[in-house]
Amino acid sequence: MHRYPRWPVHVALLAVSTIMLVPFYWVLKTSLTGENIFAFPPALWPENPHPFFYVDVWYAIPFFRYLVNSVIVSVVVVAANVVLNGMAGYALTRDFPGKATTILLFLSCMMIPFQVTIIPAYLITSELGLLNSHAGMALPLSSTIVCIFIFKAAFEAIPKSLIDAARIDGVPDWMIVFRIIMPLTKPAIATNVILSFIWSWNSFLWPLVIIRDETMQTLPLGLSRFLSVVEDTTGALYAFCVMVLVPGLVIFLLAQKEFVSGLTSGATKG
Amino acid sequence: MRSPGLLKRFLITLTAMALVTAAWNVYVVLNDDGTISGRVVDGAGNPVEGAKVTLSERSLLVARPRGQTVTDAEGQFAFTGHRLHRLYLEASKEGAGRGSQREYRLYFKGQNLELEEPLQLGAGGAT
Repeated sequence: MHRYPRWPVHVALLAVSTIMLVPFYWVLKTSLTGENIFAFPPALWPENPHPFFYVDVWYAIPFFRYLVNSVIVSVVVVAANVVLNGMAGYALTRDFPGKATTILLFLSCMMIPFQVTIIPAYLITSELGLLNSHAGMALPLSSTIVCIFIFKAAFEAIPKSLIDAARIDGVPDWMIVFRIIMPLTKPAIATNVILSFIWSWNSFLWPLVIIRDETMQTLPLGLSRFLSVVEDTTGALYAFCVMVLVPGLVIFLLAQKEFVSGLTSGATKG
Repeated sequence: MRSPGLLKRFLITLTAMALVTAAWNVYVVLNDDGTISGRVVDGAGNPVEGAKVTLSERSLLVARPRGQTVTDAEGQFAFTGHRLHRLYLEASKEGAGRGSQREYRLYFKGQNLELEEPLQLGAGGAT
């Protein structure tokens, strides 16, 4: 039994949600109609919608090739993030000399934008011989500090006695992380998966810098190329945007419960 | 903290997507012979023999003719083996006039197309 009626809250949430979803609706509507986006007053509902702009995009550029490249890079990034961030997050839950300094260093590194480190990152990738490759595209995103702290917060919520019991039984650290702790922190894993996937999927600057071969381009680069090649195709352009957006949206919708839970687990523990 | 439904949701969604993709590919394979068939009629709706039908392609950037054929005694025409997804048909006959160029958009390259409405000489409009 609530003290106050809840419908005003629901109405407000509905209104805010609608406002947030309007741009997505507009992109979807334009991709199905190809209407003039500068027309006033704009049409609220799609007139004569059809899916042929999607067909145009599919055949205008090597979309499938770009999709495969994006998927390969994203899978590598997601796998690397879960493994590396899990290990780093576990290390930060243990006591060791210089722990506070390490955490401070991590936090301060979060304030440095990627654009500042792009030249050293390029030189390192070049030295490793990974320019113009999937591994090279995935390298700078293989571990992210935000995700390390998400794992750290989730690991700290697990009773220490569980880890101590495993240690007494002689279980090595890597097995404690991957066989005992991580199965108990699926929301944190889901958060890592979603965040790293979205960052990798939308990554534009880094692939633009290190990719020279057209067949190695990812979807954001393909979108940029599409814009430079085709000028007067509003419908096809919006269809391309939808095609780039959909995989990320699907993954988020599938794991949204775990995503929200993972983001708030560190904040709600006692 | 445990999320047993997560794997299941991903599995169901990915399996459903794989099934839809497979079904779509089967449909494409069964319908991508690249045949286009239709009729040409005059202003009164009578079939026109010997009308020239031109098939053109217009991608996002360019337009160019891709084939030409002539109608038979019933006004029927057919193209085979086209690999287009956005095409234009235009009929003309000396002395009988020219029809408007009609646009046809297909779901995949080489999709079989049977014109529901005949091409009309001396009239017509965009489809």
